[in-house]
Amino acid sequence: MNPLSPAPTIEIVRVWKRYLPSTTPVDALRDISLTLEPGERVSVAGPSGCGKTTLMNMLGLLDTPTAGEVRWNGRPVGGRSERERAHLRLTGIGFIFQRFYLLPTMTARENIELPMRAAGVDRAERAHRADELLEEVGLAPRAGSFPHQLSGGEEQRVAIARALANRPGLLLADEPTGELDSAATETVLALIDSVGSASGATVVTVTHNPEVAARSHRHITMRDGRVVDDRREE
Amino acid sequence: MRSISWRSPTRHSRLQIVLAAIAIAVAVALPVILVSVGGGVSAHEIAQLQQTGYVISVSSAGMHGVSLSHGLVSEFNAIPRVAASSPVLSVPIDIYAGGITPTAVLAEGVIPDQFTPTLGPSEAGLFPSPLPLGDPTDLIHYANGTYAGPTTLDVLISTPFEAASGIRVGQSIVLSPSANQSLGTAYRVTGVFGVPPSLLGPTGAFAVIVPLSDLQVLTGWARTSATPSSLLDASDTVQVALSGTAENDPSQINAVAAQIQSLVPYYGVTTQLQQAQQLENANAILTGFYLALSSVGLAVGLIFLAIVLIRRVESERRSIGIRRALGLPPRWIAVGILARGEALAAAGIVGGTALGVIVISILAAYGTGAVKQAASLATYDPILLGLIAAGVLALACLASGLAARSAMRLDIVEALR
Repeated sequence: MNPLSPAPTIEIVRVWKRYLPSTTPVDALRDISLTLEPGERVSVAGPSGCGKTTLMNMLGLLDTPTAGEVRWNGRPVGGRSERERAHLRLTGIGFIFQRFYLLPTMTARENIELPMRAAGVDRAERAHRADELLEEVGLAPRAGSFPHQLSGGEEQRVAIARALANRPGLLLADEPTGELDSAATETVLALIDSVGSASGATVVTVTHNPEVAARSHRHITMRDGRVVDDRREE
Repeated sequence: MRSISWRSPTRHSRLQIVLAAIAIAVAVALPVILVSVGGGVSAHEIAQLQQTGYVISVSSAGMHGVSLSHGLVSEFNAIPRVAASSPVLSVPIDIYAGGITPTAVLAEGVIPDQFTPTLGPSEAGLFPSPLPLGDPTDLIHYANGTYAGPTTLDVLISTPFEAASGIRVGQSIVLSPSANQSLGTAYRVTGVFGVPPSLLGPTGAFAVIVPLSDLQVLTGWARTSATPSSLLDASDTVQVALSGTAENDPSQINAVAAQIQSLVPYYGVTTQLQQAQQLENANAILTGFYLALSSVGLAVGLIFLAIVLIRRVESERRSIGIRRALGLPPRWIAVGILARGEALAAAGIVGGTALGVIVISILAAYGTGAVKQAASLATYDPILLGLIAAGVLALACLASGLAARSAMRLDIVEALR
């Protein structure tokens, strides 16, 4: 299963993110610079509030930096329109959220088909791909179930299938096992490992869990909006 | 697959949607009722007008009406294609039929052989032909403006008056210009006539017909011997019928009207075509007024729709945030919201049109008086109803656009938090 968009080289160059709440300004990211190579398996760890999710939002083009630049294959994304950014998210990035974020009014199959439909994939191919993904995450029998009829682990497996629907080159997982029990955690992590390896996509996982972090080859540690450690395993 | 699902998460939200559709339906029903009934009545009146036998009428805004009526008849009838010219004088009078209590009726003075050709197809069967009023020409009594000839003293009474009063053909009754029997003149009832159906105007059910010169003398609208050069010999209008194909040919009608106008430049000469056009213009103004009136209700309904859709966007922040995070094209999400608004508006249009038709049907079946009659005349103009629907859809698009704009401005990170 090769990515539709080849795994990109992503550069975060001297990025600051400042939020301006009603009281004092908060710097969620402070002068961060990173380069993610294609196919890397990266974990991002750090205490709560250190800026992990903000960094993920920058990588996922959900948020824009206050200063600095995000580059996608060497091209800055800051100047792109929301439409272009949305297209990049749709075809190039797969999101796995801690709280799954399945659409509650759609079945598992419909949730998986949604990004493909938006990308203009034809009906037959959509159905085939959805079957393939449901099979891969072990939920073929639950294709017609709504999210509220699924367990947490099953919901996250559907979310993983949805993230992979358009064969993205970058897979972003924000605390993917944060709301799962240990058995479901193991299943989901094994699945991310498996699909990550099979697809060749760059996988970035934000986690508090050392076991989850241990599955990556590169470990980034953050504190107070800064990267304090960035190690690659040999 | 739904881009924005109709499976609403809460009962409250479903209730809002239903209420929005009802608000639009009620707002649509109002113009449907007003325009359909108003248009139907107007169309009926125009049809009635077009069914009359005369095609040109001469009238005066002055207190004395059209003067020298008998003379005008011969002048008008000398114009080619003119079949008959019928002066009509309408005056309220009192009738005594043996008792001391008078009955007020509308008296119409006509020249019998001129009156009959000006009757339309629907009226012709209501009157005896020829009218049994003695002298068909009314010239024996009139005699060149002297009113010196013998009067026939014949009168026709309407069937409703006959039924209510018990007066029969052959009986003698006294016609008086005021509530004073001693000022009256005895007439012999020589026949009856039917009253043409009238839906919205005065019925004139209690009426009598007498020779024009008789009524002029009775009511003081004749030329008197004391003032033989005065202008009287009055009527209210002179109705002119044309012969052959001329009565259906607008250019010939207009040509004759122009000739008549040149004879009486001081009177108003109007054709039925002009009167029909005036009615149509009046109806167009009324339709505009109805639509303006209805737009108030429509505005309220559409504001409600906009509020419901914006609230729905608010309540679906998370869902919209997820879609946008996944990279669904912004236009896709906006179109989903617009489609929802349009679907609600379409439901309101269908419901409102059905409601309007039902209300009109109920009024036609169970209403009373003029309301019942007006409702029974309702016509459904597909073009006008289509324009109303298109207008509502356009405004709903605007209302939905506000909600879509709100969805597009949503901060994705905030929505997912």
